[in-house]
Amino acid sequence: MIIHAQTPVLEVHDLTVTYARKPVLWGVDFTLPAGCIAGIVGPNGAGKSTLLKSIMGLIPVSSGYVRLFDHPLDEVRHRVSYVPQRESVDWDFPVSVLDVVLMGRYGKVGLFRNTGARDRAIAQDCLDKVGMAAFAKRQISQLSGGQQQRVFLARALAQEADLYLMDEPFAGVDAATEQAIIKLLREMAAAKKTIVVVHHDLQSVRAYFDWLVLLNMHLVAAGPTEQVFTEEMMQQAYGGRLSLLSQVSDVMEKRAFPSRED
Amino acid sequence: MQDITDFFSFSDPNVRYVVLGNILLSASAAMVGAFILLQKKALVGDAVSHAVLPGVCAAFLFSGSKNTALMLVGAFATGWLALITIDYIAAKSKIKKDAAIGLVLSVFFGAGMVMMTYIQQSGNAAQSGLDHFIFGNAATLVGTDLLVFSVLAAVLLLVVGIFFKAFALVAFDRPYAEALGYPVRRLDLLLTSLTVLAVVTGITAVGVVLMAAMLVTPAAAARYWTDNIRRMVGISVAFGVFAGFAGAYISYVAPAMPTGPWMVVVSSAIAFFSFFFAPRKGIVPRLYTQHKNRQVITEENTLKMFYHLGERNSHFDGQRSLEELASTREVNKTLLKTALRRLVAKGLLVVRANQWALTAAGYQKAMRVVRLHRLWELYLTKYMDIASDHVHDDAETIEHILTPELERELEHQLGYPDKDPHDTKIPKT
Repeated sequence: MIIHAQTPVLEVHDLTVTYARKPVLWGVDFTLPAGCIAGIVGPNGAGKSTLLKSIMGLIPVSSGYVRLFDHPLDEVRHRVSYVPQRESVDWDFPVSVLDVVLMGRYGKVGLFRNTGARDRAIAQDCLDKVGMAAFAKRQISQLSGGQQQRVFLARALAQEADLYLMDEPFAGVDAATEQAIIKLLREMAAAKKTIVVVHHDLQSVRAYFDWLVLLNMHLVAAGPTEQVFTEEMMQQAYGGRLSLLSQVSDVMEKRAFPSRED
Repeated sequence: MQDITDFFSFSDPNVRYVVLGNILLSASAAMVGAFILLQKKALVGDAVSHAVLPGVCAAFLFSGSKNTALMLVGAFATGWLALITIDYIAAKSKIKKDAAIGLVLSVFFGAGMVMMTYIQQSGNAAQSGLDHFIFGNAATLVGTDLLVFSVLAAVLLLVVGIFFKAFALVAFDRPYAEALGYPVRRLDLLLTSLTVLAVVTGITAVGVVLMAAMLVTPAAAARYWTDNIRRMVGISVAFGVFAGFAGAYISYVAPAMPTGPWMVVVSSAIAFFSFFFAPRKGIVPRLYTQHKNRQVITEENTLKMFYHLGERNSHFDGQRSLEELASTREVNKTLLKTALRRLVAKGLLVVRANQWALTAAGYQKAMRVVRLHRLWELYLTKYMDIASDHVHDDAETIEHILTPELERELEHQLGYPDKDPHDTKIPKT
């Protein structure tokens, strides 16, 4: 079941992604409207993070395309912000909290110029928004998991983008941080920003998201939460009916078969 | 003494060349090395420095003379080729990166050794001294070398200066850098080229075998002294400069001593010193903190003995003998004696004729420890549902680390209680 958005902010068209010839996403096709908080939900190994990374062009796609604001990514990169998984970086790196948030400005200042006083002010302001203003000078290895996530969020905010793609921002954070983050996301959505969140916890799906993308290697359903978040759809996404799909994947990997004929 | 004044007057042009050359090469290596270390590519640096040897030999075979500039070009070419080979093997074959590095390092170095042996047996008179490229020989540095070094070092400094923030970003969070639209692959290539350049600068003085040490050790040592990447690069360069200078001095004072190996020895000494003595991160300061913590624990436990004895006969300022104290809990008597002595020195106890008693300050402190112990026991039974006969051991540790803020918060959450889970009174200030 796919319910498409009118004038979409994000359009994923028949996207197929393979890792070393093994397909991990099959023909994913959906759209997102502006100003929504969308959840990407599905079981482990469903390809949620892969979907986010291929939207950001971090991994090559085998077929299909992604359009953002009706443009290819390279033309609108400054309007898109990506929040990687917290565990993906070494938190013992010798930089301060403010240094990390300032990285959010690197796209705007470009490769050769340095960040200036105005960038600092914006970074400080973003830290304030996530409740971490007092931690600006702290070395990042001294942060708790929830604080690390807030810093990543502040860095994304510093990009002043219109579309935010977040990989598991609620993973391993305390309840207070989770509430603070969702409150912030709602404020952003109210300001017509679009937020895409890879999410694990089914309990909070209805409360957090107004749009839902259900994924299990292929697209199970996409649309407004109240229409997609049904017993039947969840059964389809989480019930193990797809073992055939992954068996076909394995065969393709073994025989080094291309995912498309041409 | 004469040596020192001669050396530091820099009147001998040879001394000038060696000192300046050493400083330039070790500073360049240390600066690039900081980023190699942060990108976790230290082994790659080692492979590159070994892989420049066939290039040097090929340049000699090609020109038939020891032309420094041409040899640097040759070294640059094979160093670069080695890096590309490593990446290619890791990406396109089943062989993992570590094995690919080992493979490339030994194959390139082996090829270099074969070429060198061939040259040495060819009877070409110009080849004498070519083997210096293996272990380096700073004493052979001349004015033109210095010019080449200065240009290379200036290029390195300039490029690192311009791309500092990009290199730091890629080292910290590569996917994010890519998502921002930074040319990550080209930046990798750039850092790789800088690495080769730094290695090439160093081989005449330090040699291919030891060059990796000059790349990595100053940076590894610098990491112990700061949590700020800019300062880390600065300290790394400073360590590099010091090592270069010290190497030149030692080989001047004792002329039979090779410069390159001494530079490596000095920078290793700096690294070892940092490893053991750097504030907070070094082993010795950490052991000292642990020692201090143990002292605090014994002292507070000793004060508690007085309080517990006082509770038995509601007489808190009574005089206690060593035996009486030792009867309250299992304790090593020697440790107890030293703790008592320290507590007397701190004014928490008074001693008269081998009998100890709490002072007013000592009483306050003893009471606070007991109070924290009982508050924590109550917290464990109330909020964590741990049976009351299982909470004592945990509270024994926690009582020593609770801050006044946590104490207030604990008291507030428990609703200002009077009794602990064992129905003993919780003392109040």
